[in-house]
Parts: sequence; structure tokens; C-alpha cells
Amino acid sequence: MLQAIDLHKKFKTKEAVRKVNMQLEAGESVGLLGPNGAGKSTTISMLSSLIMPTNGEVLWNNVSVNKNPEALRKALGVVPQEIALYPELSAKENLHFFGRIYGLKGQLLVERTEEILQKIGLTDRKNDIVKTFSGGMKRRLNIGAALLHNPSILIMDEPTVGIDPQSRAYILDTVKQLVEEGMTLLYTSHYMEEVELLCDKIYIMDQGEIIAYGTKETLKSLVSDNQTIELKAHILSQKFEEALKKYFPTANIRKEDEILLITMPQNEEPLATIFAIAAKNAVTITSAIVKVPSLEDVFLHLTGRALRD
Amino acid sequence: MLFSLIGKQMKMLLRNKQPLIILLVMPVVLITILSTALASVMNSEEEAAIQAKFVLIDESSWEQEEASIKRFLEEEGVSGPALEALLQVFKGNDPIHILEESIFGSEDISKYISKENRQFAELDILRKDKEIDGILLIPADFRFNYIKSAYFDEQETPDMDLFLSQENGIRASIIQSVLDEWQTGFTKSLALTKVGISADEVMLNGQAVERIEQSLQGSERKIPASIYYTVGMLVMFALYIPTFLAGFALQEVQWKVYDRILLAGVPATLYAFSIFITGMIIALMQQVIILLYGKFVLGIDWIGLEGMALIALSYSLFIGGLSALLTTLQLRTKSEGVANIFSGLVVSIFAFLGGSFFNIGDVSSLLANIGSFTPNGATMSAILAIQKGQLLEVIWFYMFTLYGWFVICILLSIVLFPKRGVTS
Ligand SMILES: Nc1ncnc2c1ncn2[C@@H]1O[C@H](COP(=O)(O)OP(=O)(O)OP(=O)(O)O)[C@@H](O)[C@H]1O
Ligand SMILES: [Mg+2]
Repeated sequence: MLQAIDLHKKFKTKEAVRKVNMQLEAGESVGLLGPNGAGKSTTISMLSSLIMPTNGEVLWNNVSVNKNPEALRKALGVVPQEIALYPELSAKENLHFFGRIYGLKGQLLVERTEEILQKIGLTDRKNDIVKTFSGGMKRRLNIGAALLHNPSILIMDEPTVGIDPQSRAYILDTVKQLVEEGMTLLYTSHYMEEVELLCDKIYIMDQGEIIAYGTKETLKSLVSDNQTIELKAHILSQKFEEALKKYFPTANIRKEDEILLITMPQNEEPLATIFAIAAKNAVTITSAIVKVPSLEDVFLHLTGRALRD
Repeated sequence: MLFSLIGKQMKMLLRNKQPLIILLVMPVVLITILSTALASVMNSEEEAAIQAKFVLIDESSWEQEEASIKRFLEEEGVSGPALEALLQVFKGNDPIHILEESIFGSEDISKYISKENRQFAELDILRKDKEIDGILLIPADFRFNYIKSAYFDEQETPDMDLFLSQENGIRASIIQSVLDEWQTGFTKSLALTKVGISADEVMLNGQAVERIEQSLQGSERKIPASIYYTVGMLVMFALYIPTFLAGFALQEVQWKVYDRILLAGVPATLYAFSIFITGMIIALMQQVIILLYGKFVLGIDWIGLEGMALIALSYSLFIGGLSALLTTLQLRTKSEGVANIFSGLVVSIFAFLGGSFFNIGDVSSLLANIGSFTPNGATMSAILAIQKGQLLEVIWFYMFTLYGWFVICILLSIVLFPKRGVTS
């Protein structure tokens, strides 16, 4: 179990992290969501024993990481935000080097390297120099390099920034698979959909502080328990609108730019009814979208600012 | 773990063009240009050093002394045809004839020594002539006295006077060695002629040539431009190795691979040690390549190989230490500033003071003194001393200086190397 207690980091004048408390249980996948400069990377560096907290403590299985970093380091894989690879070496040479410094050698090293190459889908490019790789391939190798020594806990710092959607999907798939295989994961991102997809538990960080924490559902309920249905039709007749209002008396129904917005509690499932009413009133619905609050909305709600600019 | 760190560093170096160009191509090109361009200036002296000028003043002659010799033989009881025959034997074994014809007349010797015959009256003037390296004066009655001593044990071997110039030790010693060989030759031949072997066969000029070569080796060899610049560039361009290694280390920190290395549990000290070893290996490889280039392309005959090996190893150690220190400073300051100042300024100043471009002692002995305390200057002086044929003892002072620098680099690296992550 990895635990952060009252972590605090001050760089000269800048207070990058303030009073952060976090907890990662074995097998859990935890998200750390926050905008640029929130202090996510700084928190991760402290958690992974790379930098010393100005105040507070990191515990790995109840032992201070500061005093005894070795135990954590053996069990930990870190995927840095940067592409931390040797551009002049091939993919295989990079993996071999990182494997060797973790003490892997001989047949085991060769096998692990092949396994990882398979996992990140770079087997056919293994002898190519990393410099020649696309952004997505570098990102994949960046992840592979953290997995060689078979860590039981993986910390990933924005592993998908700046790459094409295909590579991103591939990486998310890989990570999802790792989680399913039982990896403990701390996943940092400012893409809420990634965190939503991968993580059960989420910390939201802003300006050095954890501003919210919980499961997806509890966080979203911070915003509201409502859903909004957006309807488009050839002709949105007054009669249809009134019929809806009569059927859903508690719902908030309004028209904006030829789109009909219906807001109601999430526990109701109104689509079938809506379509039936439309048919009865001879209204042809061309599109219907059900919107529930996103983490983005949660962030907006908490800080008054958008997660990404 | 150490080996994978070293291997990785070597790969980083070898896969980059810039280090290869600066560490190997540049010195080789500069050595070639400088040693050919400046060969005529620096080498002229050396040519002269080999050709010694020898003057022979022969006061004795058969014409003058034949009468006295005949009289002496008759007194000894030889006469008639026996006397004539004996006279022929003496003439055939005349040591001065052998010296002039078989020794100085031979092609091998005349390469090293030019011989001229002069008169006794000129002796005083000749002795003042700085161009002349040696004068041999054969006194009157030498042949007569020689016969008396050689064949009849009547007298000590007659004296000759040899005047050697103090101007040039090598040339004088060449003459001396040839004359020594000649003298022992004819003393020995006496014993043999008594058994009936001709002196000509005994005094093969080959022995004299061997003596010349020995005396050339025993004395200081002149340093031609090719040796001078090979050594000068060798010590200078090794100084760029630490810049590259420190640059790589900084890149590793910036790329965050250094974080990965620390996360793997590699102690910072082992990482620094790997840079030290890498610097050492590369310096050694670079020096060997440049020395071999000198040997096979420029035709340099490197002598004193034990001394050379000792110096090259010591200099490599120092380069390793300097690599560790530059890396340390760069990781401390987290900028390329230190290595840039070093490669842009310090290397040039050190190379200048150390005499890599020209012998700074010709300009100012103060600067030369300062230069001999630079690590590269000390190393260069040590190699040149070995190449001049000086004894190994001469280099201790330089080695002491070099190891002083080495110790400073290592101590500073140990004290200053950031033990934990550099990110904080
Ligand atoms: N070494 C440092 N020295 C000084 N300030 C720093 C240092 N590292 C980070 N900071 C500052 O601390 C704050 C938090 O930075 P951090 O990198 O942890 O943010 P982040 O959440 O990872 O942002 P991003 O999403 O852009 O990666 C920023 O304002 C940053 O400028
Ligand atoms: Mg970050």
C-alpha cells in the first residue's frame, strides 16, 4: 500500500504541492486529474522517491520511503511524462539497458524484452533507432521501459500527451489490460475521459491541492444527479412540447436554437416514452443525445475554470 | 550494472558524429597539416645533426718514414727480399689507410660523417671552426712507431690527438664512436696478423655503423614536427572527452532517463564511477589510435614503449577523473555552462600553454613554466622526453603534476556529486 501523508513541496518561492493525502491499495487503479501546473508530476516524483518532500511523508507498506527507498523502487514502475529514452539506441537496446540496471540478465532479460515488445506492439520495430520512431511509438516504448522488471505498482504521468488517436487508443487498451491483470495503477492525466475509463478512484488536483476525491459516481454527484436529453427534429411542434411537459411534470423542458432540452433525474429512463409521444404527435426525431455530468463538469463546478484551456 | 552503464555511454558516443569528428578526425587532420607544413622549419636541424664533419691531419707518411723503417728492420736482422716482402705486409695493414678507405670511404659511414684531409699548419684555424665536429691529428713518425710497437713489441702504441667539438654532442659522439671502433680494431688485428689474418677482414665497417647507431640512440633524439604535433594534438584533443561525457550526463538528466537510473536503484556514485571509467577507456583508445596513425601514416618510430604506456595510462586516468568532475559540475548547475566554458576556453588556454601549437618556451619561459603545470603540458613534456631518448626518471616530475590534477578531480567529484535526484 502506497500512502502520501500531508505532502508538501516548495521550490524556492513556488509552493507546488500543498497538504496532499493519497492512498493506493493493492490492485486499485487510481486517477490523478488536474490542469497544467496543478502539481501532479511533483506529487508523483515525491511518491516515487525521486524528490524529497519539504514536509510530510510517503509510506510504502507502512515504511517511510524516504528512509528506505529500495523496497518501493523494486516494486515500482514509473512512466515519466517526458520520453525518457535514449534516442540513439534501438528499442531493444533501450529495453535491455533499463532491464540490466534493474538486475535482469541473460535469458530472462531476453525473454522479458520480447514480452514487453509484444505488449507494446513494437516487435517488428525493435531494432530501429528510437530517434526514427513516431510520437506514439516513443510513448509506447516509454511505457514498456517501466514494465521490464515486472513491477506490482505502476505510476503513469500523462502517458498519452501529444499523440495520435490511434496510438492513444492502443495505449489505453494496454493499460486497461494491465489493470485487469491486477496491476496497482496511479494514472495522471488532464484528459478526464482517460481517467474515467481506467480508474475506479479519482483525485482531482488544482493549484497544488487535492480539491476532490472519490469514485466517478460520487464525484459526478457533486455536480448534480440530473441528466439532460437533447432532441432534434424536423419540426418541433408546440403540441409535442406540451405533451412532454404533461408526461414529465417534474422535468425542466426548454428550447434553445431549435434544440429541445429536457433535464430530469438520472434514475429515470425516458427515451422510449419520448419517442412514443413524438410518434403520436407526428414529430420525426432526427437525433437524441443523453448527457450526464462529466468530470470536466465536476472540475468546472469546483474551480469555476475549465480543465483544459 | 557498471558494464551496462559503460556500454551505454560508449554507444552514445559512437553513434554521434560530432564526438567522432572532434575526438579523431580533427586531431588527425591537424597533425597531418601541421607536421607537413612545419616539417621544413623544425626538421632542418635534425638533418644537420646526423652528418658530422671530420678532419684528418696526417703528419706521418710512408715516403718520409720508409728509410727509418728499413734501417730499423736491418738492425733487427732482416734484409734483401724478406725485407721488401715485410714492407708490403706493413703497407697493406696500414691502420690509417684502413681508416680512410675502408671506414670513412664506405657508403654506410659517409652517410653520417664527411671526411676531409688538411695540413697541420691549419690546425689552429680548424679548431676554431664551429662547423667541424672532430679533428684527428696523426703525429709524424706514427707509422714507424706503430710498426715498432705492433710487430716488435718495442714501444707503447703511439699516441694520436683527437679534438672533438663541444658544439654538437651527437655529432662529436658519432666521430668518437667510429674512431674507438677503429682503434680497438687495429689493436685487436695486431694479434691476428701475427697468426696471418688480414686486418681488413677484422675491421669490418659494419661494427662502426652499429656504434654510430648506438651513439645516436644513447644521445638525445631530435624531435621532428611529426612527433611534436602528434603529441601536441593527442594531449589537447583528449581534453574534449570530458565535455562530451558531461554533455551526455546532462542530457540524461533532462530526458529524465537519469530518474529511471535512480529509480532502478543505481547509486549516484556508481553512475559517476561509470563516467570515470568510460572517460578513461575512450582516452586510451583515442591515444592508441592517434599514436598508431603517427606510426603507420607519418612513419614515426615511437621509442620507449614502457614509458609511453605508463604516460598514456596516467593521462587516461586523469581524463576519466576530469570527466567525472565536469559531469558533477554540470549536474550541480544543471546547465551546459561549465562544459561550454571548458571546451571553449579552458582547452584552448591549456593547449596553448602546454605547447600543443608551438613550443611556448621559445616565446616566454614564464609561460612555459606555467604550461608545464597544466595536465596536458606535463603529459606532452613527458612524452617528448621519452621520445628524445631520455631516461624514465625524467618523467616523474611530470607524472607527479598529472597525478596531482587527477587527485583534485576525483576529490572534488566525490565531494560535489549530487547524491540524490538532481530534480529537487
Ligand atoms: N524543479 C522545479 N523548480 C521550480 N518550480 C517547479 C519545479 N517543478 C515544478 N515546478 C512548478 O510547480 C508547479 C507544479 O508543477 P508540476 O510539473 O508538478 O505540474 P503538473 O500538474 O505535472 O503539470 P502538467 O500537466 O503541465 O505536467 C508548476 O507551477 C511548476 O512551474
Ligand atoms: Mg506533469
